Amino acid sequence: MVGVLRRLLPRNYLFTILGIAVGVAGLVALGAMAERITRFIDGGDRFVLGQISVAGEGMGMGTGFTAGGLLRADRIEQIAHVPGVAAVQAQVMLPLNPTTSQFLTLTQELILGIDPAAPAPNRQLRELPVKRGRFLRTGDRGVVVVGSDFAATRKLAVGQRLELGSGRTFEVVGVLDKTLTAPDRFAIVPLEDARDLWLRRDPLLVQVFAGGSGAMSRRDLNTGAAVSWADGVDPDDLARRIQKSVSGVNVTIPGELSRVLRQSTAFFSALLFGIGVLGLVIGGASLSNTVTAAVFERIRDFGIKRALGATDLQLLREILTEALAVSVSGGAIGVVLALAIGFIVDARVLSDGQQLFLFSPRLLLFALVFSAILGGLAATYATLRIVRLSPAEAIRRGA
Amino acid sequence: MAPIRVRAVGLSKTFRGPDGGPVPVLDGVDAEVGAGEFVAVAGPSGCGKSTLLNLLGLLEPPDRGEVWLGDVCVSQLSRRAQCPVRGRSIGYVFQSFLLISSLTALDNVLLAARYVGRARSEALPAARALMERLGVAHRAGHYPSQLSGGEQQRVAYCRAVLNAPPLVLADEPTGNLDEGHAAVILSELRGLCRDRGASVILVTHRADAAALADRTLSLRAGRLEPRGGGTT
Repeated sequence: MVGVLRRLLPRNYLFTILGIAVGVAGLVALGAMAERITRFIDGGDRFVLGQISVAGEGMGMGTGFTAGGLLRADRIEQIAHVPGVAAVQAQVMLPLNPTTSQFLTLTQELILGIDPAAPAPNRQLRELPVKRGRFLRTGDRGVVVVGSDFAATRKLAVGQRLELGSGRTFEVVGVLDKTLTAPDRFAIVPLEDARDLWLRRDPLLVQVFAGGSGAMSRRDLNTGAAVSWADGVDPDDLARRIQKSVSGVNVTIPGELSRVLRQSTAFFSALLFGIGVLGLVIGGASLSNTVTAAVFERIRDFGIKRALGATDLQLLREILTEALAVSVSGGAIGVVLALAIGFIVDARVLSDGQQLFLFSPRLLLFALVFSAILGGLAATYATLRIVRLSPAEAIRRGA
Repeated sequence: MAPIRVRAVGLSKTFRGPDGGPVPVLDGVDAEVGAGEFVAVAGPSGCGKSTLLNLLGLLEPPDRGEVWLGDVCVSQLSRRAQCPVRGRSIGYVFQSFLLISSLTALDNVLLAARYVGRARSEALPAARALMERLGVAHRAGHYPSQLSGGEQQRVAYCRAVLNAPPLVLADEPTGNLDEGHAAVILSELRGLCRDRGASVILVTHRADAAALADRTLSLRAGRLEPRGGGTT
């Protein structure tokens, strides 16, 4: 490999390769940040499009997600009988830290109570990816599975104990792999444990139960439910049917929620576009300028070669081969450089539960192909300029 | 007289000066050089000697006039068609050597073979033999920056004659060399005419170099003057 490169690359190309590497590293790093934002937006979108979320009729902000309302068991049974519904999973979703500063923000950490026996309702996320340990099982109590960011910020490992408020501690039995969306900040506990936590932290509910509020039971303690639909059913139509046929519920329509999310992330999308364009312009300009300059620097050599009988085609072939070797090796070094920068920066911010870069295979492949194509185009442009000169003129200019 | 190897007919060349104005360098030069003839071109600096060599060697096109090699008007050929003529029929020895710094001495010599379609393996023995004769074989793996001026010129000479071209153009090949190295190059050029019947045109300021030539063409104000009994 080194031998092949030595044959392909003339001496003194080190700085050219490093110049290209810097440009490509910039492109890849900016691209990785854009990929991260894209995955975050798309992940949220996929999540809301994968299920219909239903909540009890609410008490204001946060209805259905964070204990804003109560979805009683009889309502859940009614939902299950609406034509087109495949499965309903009762849930309790509580903010870990119910202060207004964190309430409903993108970085909010949530306690999610689910019944492991019920089928997973989200059609886009059938199984949450477990990185270490295991997911919840039927009959579990006092255990928790935590999202990757949740675990990272607290340096949690399987087997450790975690306090989730009101003095209750849970054993960590699993840590999820990174999903780059909401579950990264979840602490998932058995439904009955989540109901306990809710009762402990909400005095009003305790009073309701203590007062013997006739029809209420623990089964009624749900903040919402996640509904999945049968194959071939339009989820938006089904959501509207549930809203119409079951009284006293708030139904989010997946398509509408997706649109709302898209609108609320419009700034990020614009930022993403800007980063992408910036990366292409900076990386592309740097790379093509470096390759073109490297070819023009050797104009004297090409004049000599033409004096020795080299045809335009022979020169173009030589220059293209060199340019591709230089561009691809510069691109590869740039990719490695960007990966190193990304890992160093991410290692620093990971303790805050953040990840700035996402180096997807498509991004890395794009960077290499982009380097090769742009290097080839720049070299072709420079060659076409050079072969228009007479050999003597090329030698004079390169002197 | 030997058959005409190269002929210049009314060659003229004008360059553009720093102020954009025309700077005439050659003005209607006519010259003939026969096969096996060693011709020196002399004249004051800036009189157009190198330009004449460049035009004869197809390194740049004349503004007016023609260059003939044998019975072919090569200056009228297309850019593409001129390439094999340069590669096979003309060898250049430049004053400043013009070796490619990224290639070893041997690879510089073999470069001449690459562009005329000769296989490296076929040209290699000839290249080594030439370098051996010129006393630079032990420097084959060195880069130009690792060679002395005399060694560089001998390597450049090997490159110029590797394909055994019938016409060799040498532009002040001894200008940067000491007496000893200059003598080696001049002797080789003389030998090309004598042993191989090649035509050599030598641009030089050195009287001893010009004295080795069969005749000398004197260039003044862009025109050739007869000198020393030679013909133009």
